[in-house]
Amino acid sequence: MVDQTGTVSLSADNLTLQHGKTTIIESLNLTLPLGKVTAIVGPNGCGKSTLLNGLSRIHHPIGGTVLLNGKDIHKYPSKEVARKLALLPQDTISPDGINVEELIRFGRHPHQSTMKQWKMSDQEAIDYALNAADLNGLKDRLLNTLSGGQRQRAWIAMSIAQETPLLLLDEPTSALDLGHQIEVFELIKELSEEGKTIAMVVHDLPSACRYADHIVAMKDGKIVTQGCPKKIMTKELVLALYGIECDLIPDPMTGSPILINIKRVKSL
Amino acid sequence: MINKTLSPDGYLRLSLGSYSYLIEKNAIARNLFLSGLLILACIASLGIGTLTLTPWSVIQAVFGLGDSMNQFVVQELRLQRLLAGLYTGAAFSLAGCLMQTLARNRLATPGIIGIDNAAMAFAVSSVVSTTISMAPSAMALIGAATATALAFGLSGSSGTRGYRFIIAGIGVGAIAGAITQLMLSQVAIDVANAAYPWTVGSLSARSSLMVSVLGVGLLICLISCLLLTHVFGLLPFSDAVVIGFGSSMKRLRLIALILSVVLTGLAVSVAGPVGLVALIGPEIARFFARYRGIPLISSALAGGLIMVIADLLGRTVLSPIEIPVGIVTSIVGGPYLIWILVRQRSTHSL
Repeated sequence: MVDQTGTVSLSADNLTLQHGKTTIIESLNLTLPLGKVTAIVGPNGCGKSTLLNGLSRIHHPIGGTVLLNGKDIHKYPSKEVARKLALLPQDTISPDGINVEELIRFGRHPHQSTMKQWKMSDQEAIDYALNAADLNGLKDRLLNTLSGGQRQRAWIAMSIAQETPLLLLDEPTSALDLGHQIEVFELIKELSEEGKTIAMVVHDLPSACRYADHIVAMKDGKIVTQGCPKKIMTKELVLALYGIECDLIPDPMTGSPILINIKRVKSL
Repeated sequence: MINKTLSPDGYLRLSLGSYSYLIEKNAIARNLFLSGLLILACIASLGIGTLTLTPWSVIQAVFGLGDSMNQFVVQELRLQRLLAGLYTGAAFSLAGCLMQTLARNRLATPGIIGIDNAAMAFAVSSVVSTTISMAPSAMALIGAATATALAFGLSGSSGTRGYRFIIAGIGVGAIAGAITQLMLSQVAIDVANAAYPWTVGSLSARSSLMVSVLGVGLLICLISCLLLTHVFGLLPFSDAVVIGFGSSMKRLRLIALILSVVLTGLAVSVAGPVGLVALIGPEIARFFARYRGIPLISSALAGGLIMVIADLLGRTVLSPIEIPVGIVTSIVGGPYLIWILVRQRSTHSL
């Protein structure tokens, strides 16, 4: 196995990103903590997904740089980046009639070329990914016959097979019910415990607090605050981000903050 | 549990030193099967006509053996036409499969996107006009490229994905078709007659030079497809996934688009716009493919098969009257197109 422990750093230096002529993110600085799960939270349209796309070189910056191990990510050959950083976008269209193992096999693409299509390490990485995502029993199933949670696990397994120290996920649980959300979050947590540095865009605040080591709270393209969920999560922050009033209590089991007594503030 | 086998399920791994190349076992089986059918169809096509030959004498004649009269009939009279049909069918069908994959839509074949029509319009303009000195074949290629560029430009930011590309293409094709009709209606009847084969899709007016050019072009495109199968596998994914794998989606699409346009232009330059081969060929290939990957080589074989059979039917059914091959494929292909449209609701799209 390739060493996947958090030795590859990813950071944004004075990053400015635009959609067309609209500036989404301006002069943003961020460093992902190594070997930890970072959750990017914030209201719709705050630039979370744009930031993730910027960090994963899908979106070209208009100013500033994304640094991969201290070097501009756009200065690397794209395939070399793909061996260090895996991205799971929201829009995951797949070829029709493909099964789980075939999907995971695509994750090996950055390690292959036209004349080097299959090595022993490819199969090893796929077997490892199948095990890690607990998909051994499902590997021959067609992707479109799986439940939402299983399908999302298959996509994550594809990123695992990519064998990258960095993994970025854009709303990995957005279309999933509670049970399937937990399934995916626990997998993400396990991956970080094995040493991967993970960043994910998450909508659900309590889940973000529960499963992330580090929270980045964004609004209007800027980072409002960041840090350990237990420390930074306050009712003032929730009000500032989402315009709702609530009380926060610690989860009796895990101690992570839970939102209760939620009320919408009538006029802002 | 580590599986120590050195090739993934369902694949054959060819290797030399540190180099390795994967071939899908299902692809070998289906391509052998289609090749077998194709050889049978070719033998039938070479043997059947005003002088009917036995399969054995056809095979002898192809290799320059046996009766000299048979050799003359097969090699001088029929082989050129067979190759023209084989090449154009394969080219149309391969172009169709590439375009469908590119646009993620099974209806997005060069014929429907108007590339055929534009190639035809340019070819006809060269036949009917005295001011254009370029050969109709070359004009067909230019027409194909122009139509694609127009459809692409008109589709705006959505590129080859989505309906804008297809609708823009249908518009371009309709205009090209109207211009062709206008040109034909404005010239003397014998000039219009000379231009007519370009408008229906026929193998009787092929130029032997263009058949050879198409053959070489087709061979180059097929080899490119074999080498690119590995990366073309990424085409069905979204842009972000492909970039995430470190490949350039733009470059991938551009290559597929160029291959598709060149193949269509060359095929039109030999046989004119032959209806619906580009639609049915890939469909047959997918029927045999285990999962809906991108069966490029099978599409080419199936397209060749359709053309050879369609031409054989066109020559023999109402003999001695000859039905142009494009009309045969349209008669058979039309109902098939409707069937796909009706059926598509229940199955997933490409």
